[in-house]
Amino acid sequence: MRRRSLADSPVVVTGMGMVTSIGIGREEFWNSLLAGRCGFGPVKSFDTSGYQVHLGAEIRDFKPDNYVHRLNPASIGRSSQFAIAAARLALLDAQIELNAAGKQRTGVCLGTTSGEPHYVERFDDRYVQGSLSSLGDEFIAGYPCHLVPGNVATELELGGETMMIPTACAAGNYAVAHASDVLRMGKADFMLAGGADSFSRITYSGFARLGAIAPEICQPFDRNRKGMVPGEGAAILLLETKEKAEARGARIYCEVAGYGLSCDAHHMTAAHPEGEGAARAIATALRHSGIAAEEVDYISAHGTGTPTNDRLETIAVKKTFGSLAYRIPISSIKSMLGHTMGAASAIESAVCALAITHQQIPATMNLREQDPECDLDYVPNVARKRAVRVAMNNAYAFGGNNSSVIFTVCAA
Amino acid sequence: MDVETIRATIKQAIQQVTGIDAATISDTASFTDDLKLDSLSILEIAVSVESQFKFQANDEELSSIRTVEDTVALIKRRMCVAVA
Amino acid sequence: MTKRVAITGMGVVTSLGNSPTEFHSALCEGRQASYRRESCELDDASCTQGGSISSFEPESYLSGKPLRPLDRTGRIVAAAARLALENSGWVAALLRNHDVGLVLGTMFGSVRTIAEFDRRGLTQGPACVSPLDFANTVLNAAAGQTAIWHNLRGINSTIACGSCSGLMALGYAADLIRYRGHTAILAGGADEFCFESFCGFDRAGLLCKANGHDDFPVPFAAARSGFALGEAAALLMLEEWDSALARGATIIGEIRGHGNAYDPGGNRECRPETIARAMEAAVADSGLNASDIGCISASANGSVFADRNEALAVKAFFNGSSDTIPITAIKSAVGEVLGASGVLQAISLIETFRTHTLPGIRGLEQIGPELPELNLCRQSRTLNICSGLINSVGFDGNTCALMMARAQATN
Repeated sequence: MRRRSLADSPVVVTGMGMVTSIGIGREEFWNSLLAGRCGFGPVKSFDTSGYQVHLGAEIRDFKPDNYVHRLNPASIGRSSQFAIAAARLALLDAQIELNAAGKQRTGVCLGTTSGEPHYVERFDDRYVQGSLSSLGDEFIAGYPCHLVPGNVATELELGGETMMIPTACAAGNYAVAHASDVLRMGKADFMLAGGADSFSRITYSGFARLGAIAPEICQPFDRNRKGMVPGEGAAILLLETKEKAEARGARIYCEVAGYGLSCDAHHMTAAHPEGEGAARAIATALRHSGIAAEEVDYISAHGTGTPTNDRLETIAVKKTFGSLAYRIPISSIKSMLGHTMGAASAIESAVCALAITHQQIPATMNLREQDPECDLDYVPNVARKRAVRVAMNNAYAFGGNNSSVIFTVCAA
Repeated sequence: MDVETIRATIKQAIQQVTGIDAATISDTASFTDDLKLDSLSILEIAVSVESQFKFQANDEELSSIRTVEDTVALIKRRMCVAVA
Repeated sequence: MTKRVAITGMGVVTSLGNSPTEFHSALCEGRQASYRRESCELDDASCTQGGSISSFEPESYLSGKPLRPLDRTGRIVAAAARLALENSGWVAALLRNHDVGLVLGTMFGSVRTIAEFDRRGLTQGPACVSPLDFANTVLNAAAGQTAIWHNLRGINSTIACGSCSGLMALGYAADLIRYRGHTAILAGGADEFCFESFCGFDRAGLLCKANGHDDFPVPFAAARSGFALGEAAALLMLEEWDSALARGATIIGEIRGHGNAYDPGGNRECRPETIARAMEAAVADSGLNASDIGCISASANGSVFADRNEALAVKAFFNGSSDTIPITAIKSAVGEVLGASGVLQAISLIETFRTHTLPGIRGLEQIGPELPELNLCRQSRTLNICSGLINSVGFDGNTCALMMARAQATN
């Protein structure tokens, strides 16, 4: 009777690619992040004159033709274009050329909040204009969110498991977590894991109506913070087992040590008032990784910049880490990128990997006057050099989903 | 528009969100304590009322409404402004 | 150490009954789901079959809290969850002390809510959009709402892989139990019937053409021209074998293993070799052999190419010796129910283990002449088997297979 158990070999990150409003590709992105560049500006992709807010973090200089070769860039959605670019950059970064057998054993697992929202928006435009009769296959061939990882696999001719895990704003973490399991189970040799989302009128309208969008600036943990800034982007990590990575002489950024996922089962849009589920996810992630609380050197916060999120997230961190919480640097890159929805925790996973690689922590920008209720070390305004051996990535989502993924330096 | 119509419209909006029979909702019932509404549901009621009476409340006004009567008062205030 | 995955309960909301027994009996009797279609939904649709479950009344499953926050998908999933929790003995008191997870497969999730939310903004202005609907515009809304309704605090994940979503969700959840220490996860799939998905499929030419009668297209039939779109929610309670026994649960089946594959050919079609690859992976993952497969529940739904490719894959998988393995398919009875499809197939298979009756393929007479010789069951038949294989073949390159076994103390 064959019964497999999890492989002993750890799962490592050996490549990364990202498309963000402050830079495309690892180096450009990381340099922008350390420099504290912000990607905000007035929304251009649709008319916001009927809204009370106009700020967004759109990607302005993205050229899909540079990355999408096998598929026709015009035939796929913007999230797919981002994801394909991020995947190509990740493979390039990992300096890997997959042969036919390798491609067959490579899977794609992504997260998203909205998938390809432009297709449903176009559907609605047609509905309102009365032109649905000429819809053709545009909606079915473009909209369903599983097409995003599918398009990545088709573009790169990959035959492994492709899966979309659309767990909203925590989705990137869910994808990285699952991809690491797939590798540990020996069900693939390589996994492209991450998340993608594109700027959407639907998402913008909703957050605007909730009064959750900041009018001028995103300033997580600041006492005067006024909300989040919707953004867009993608990040994809190349994951493989340490054994395989070492055998091919790959550069290893870090190890994916473990994760914790939980659900508040409390409210669709509001986090649990005592951070119960978030604390449970953190505790599970620590236990699962075999990491002690005092070993955590950096926490990449969900840190959206809404009054409630930042306060409750602080409570959850204190709940798990106790007095240690005050000694752990925590930062939110959403202060620069805005909230890239399903891509956010994928981009932040890459940030954890880079913090470990470069021993540097990006700052929480625009933090002028710290909220007394948020009394931890949020690395205000200036990136910091620091030994980072263990980094934790926290992300939370509509539906009460909580996620924490732990990345560690890869022991020789 | 008379106060009774405004009041009935608000209670109808509450019924839509909660399933509670509009006729049984008192004018002074607290949205949170008596009707067990969360902030999202209160906002839903506010949006419904706003679109029926054609105005948009600001954040301060939205956080001030705690009962049916508060909401009636807000609408009356805003409709006077609109008329003026 | 790898754990075993016990199935301890099932919940279904379908137009062929709201219990596994009713559903399976309907399949065995050759009944067809009766769906409702709003006449105004799409006047010039080329497909006239399919629709939403006419008999579903959420109030009969979900009481005590306002229903308004849940959209249709949320309601059918929360209802199926209640049935599965009751069926497996997970009462509220148990749920308070244990973090039960929820893994839901869905192709479209809340697309109706998303589109209606957007259209309200377009026609009435962005200030008029509904906050409660916005909460449901995320694709994991049904899983979130169901977790809130039933107090499910464990992992909460949504799997989207087109019509493979449900079966992939079962595989995903099973692996969390086998390898990751989870002890109880409600897993399955659902998709509502709505204007947006129906219109999308219809305009893309994927649905069956109006054929002058109400019969759904028949899997593997010569006259197939596309599928009919239905609606369903189906969930299984999956538990780690020993902890299920420890709490005195009745084990009704086992998930043995699964395999997923993708066809990057680019024409959005799974070639036979890709489908066979997923089947091989599922069998290898299960620790069983191809010769242990007692029957196959096919994904076939009346699509021209997908049905043919699946038939060719089965033939190739058994190396040409598949003539005796009984093959059934449920979609001429229930339609293509997307995220729920694979899970309904699983439920029917579990009922087959129990009742020793395998449903036939409703309406199958003339088999497509281009298909290889297979033992396609036209009628229900007696079948006493220990394990079976379920296929899900997507429209977009995804394919998935899952091995299930009847409940047996030793493996």
